Amino acid sequence: MITIHFAHPDGTVTKAQGTPGQTLMQLAVDSSIAEILAECGGACACATCRVDISLDAPVLPMVEPEASMVDCVAEPLPTTRLSCQIILSAQMDGMTVHLPERQY
Amino acid sequence: MNSLPDAFAPLSQAFAQDPYPAYAALRAQPGPTYFADVDMWLLSRADDVMRVIQDTTLMRGTETVFSPEERRALQRAENFHDIPHHERFVQNNLLESDGPTHARLRRQVFRTFTPGLIARQRPMIDTHVSALIDRLEPRGEFDFIADFAVHIPGHVIGRVIGVPDADCPRLRVWSEETVRFFDIDRTPEKKARAEAAVTEFYHYLLDLTAERQKSPREDVLSALIASMTRGDLSEDELIATCMLILMAGHGSTIDVLGTGLLALLEHPKAMATLRADPSTMQTTIQEMFRFQSPLPFFHRYVTKPCEIAGQQFQRGDRIGVLYGAANRDEFAFDAPDTFDIHRSPNRHLAFGGGAHFCLGNHLARLTMDVVFTQLLSRFMTISLSGNTPEYKTGLSVRGLKSLNISLR
Repeated sequence: MITIHFAHPDGTVTKAQGTPGQTLMQLAVDSSIAEILAECGGACACATCRVDISLDAPVLPMVEPEASMVDCVAEPLPTTRLSCQIILSAQMDGMTVHLPERQY
Repeated sequence: MNSLPDAFAPLSQAFAQDPYPAYAALRAQPGPTYFADVDMWLLSRADDVMRVIQDTTLMRGTETVFSPEERRALQRAENFHDIPHHERFVQNNLLESDGPTHARLRRQVFRTFTPGLIARQRPMIDTHVSALIDRLEPRGEFDFIADFAVHIPGHVIGRVIGVPDADCPRLRVWSEETVRFFDIDRTPEKKARAEAAVTEFYHYLLDLTAERQKSPREDVLSALIASMTRGDLSEDELIATCMLILMAGHGSTIDVLGTGLLALLEHPKAMATLRADPSTMQTTIQEMFRFQSPLPFFHRYVTKPCEIAGQQFQRGDRIGVLYGAANRDEFAFDAPDTFDIHRSPNRHLAFGGGAHFCLGNHLARLTMDVVFTQLLSRFMTISLSGNTPEYKTGLSVRGLKSLNISLR
């Protein structure tokens, strides 16, 4: 199992356990993380599953279509990612993922 | 094989008034249900519907599914032949494409529909809605649909595309005459009117495109022209995209404005809460879309043998996804038949999902936000007048024929 710490904007943290191959978005949805809307269901078509992850976290760099879609979120940061495009791997165990105040 | 529940009679007024018992009966069946009238397998449970719309081997358009001969036969069977402009701009567009073509077309326009850019339209929508209310206010009583809602979405979408204010009323007519030919009842008269509307709209857009080429503005048309200049979009694709944006958003937003207001009228506590606490507007609007999804039915084509919900499918089979049924699935939503304006998260499927997820969702929600904010802030009492409103019949749309209200 891979433990992910979802850090809510109010400072609280939800700990969730996922499996390799699952997307970060799916783990969030399955864990009832309300900040992740994921309105398109994971097709990289809505930009409503935004998270922010430290640049030194063990996450693969962005490729298309995420790279084109990510700047459609409100005020993207260098740390901004779309969680539907991040596939959980063992290296991510213990990683903290920051959730936005709102997706739009 | 599952048989259709008796209550599932999409053309009946009884089904139109309350399709949810029929949807519940469909969801209770162990797998997909064959609907012979339209040669289609229906899926109604939220997880099955989501699985289908996320599956990239299931296509919305026919191009990658059938041979050119098969497509022509299908087009003739659907009475979509011998209408050259309709074929060119309505039957071939972003919605009817898949794969790389769909991704390219969507990429050109998605950026103009981001929440940030759409939010800038709020003053324009405010002004338009406010003027409409000013005109209706002295009457006190009117039909919320015919006198008010029909004048909003097409106008707003037109302005977002870049159509001047004075020309926007024409868009509504073009859109409605084109969309009417999608009904099951495809009469020769409707066919001729649809082709005429598309032809007129085409020539109008050609002229406006020429104008914008000379002096670009911050609108969707100018963005699409820039795509065309870069070679990312053909002129036909530009025209078809503008037409689709209008047609997809106009009728559906009218319908959800009407059913949304009716839900508030039928749930006075919800209306009072929304009035007292406008911060609930966003969750209220989401719940309006879930509770009465304005486009409750879409389809996908099977491209290769597969199994879905225990049923084997072959290339060319058509699967119908019932968003209206999925959005009342008790396995996806607590108390699904309850109108709960605080529901969060509200992962409804009213905007579809997957690659074809509704492009205009932010504009539709903003339009509703403006309308309900203005109505609640300007009037202390909004009430139903006249008889119980009737819904339109059919499976593809969910909306009211009329909604007589009084405002004080």
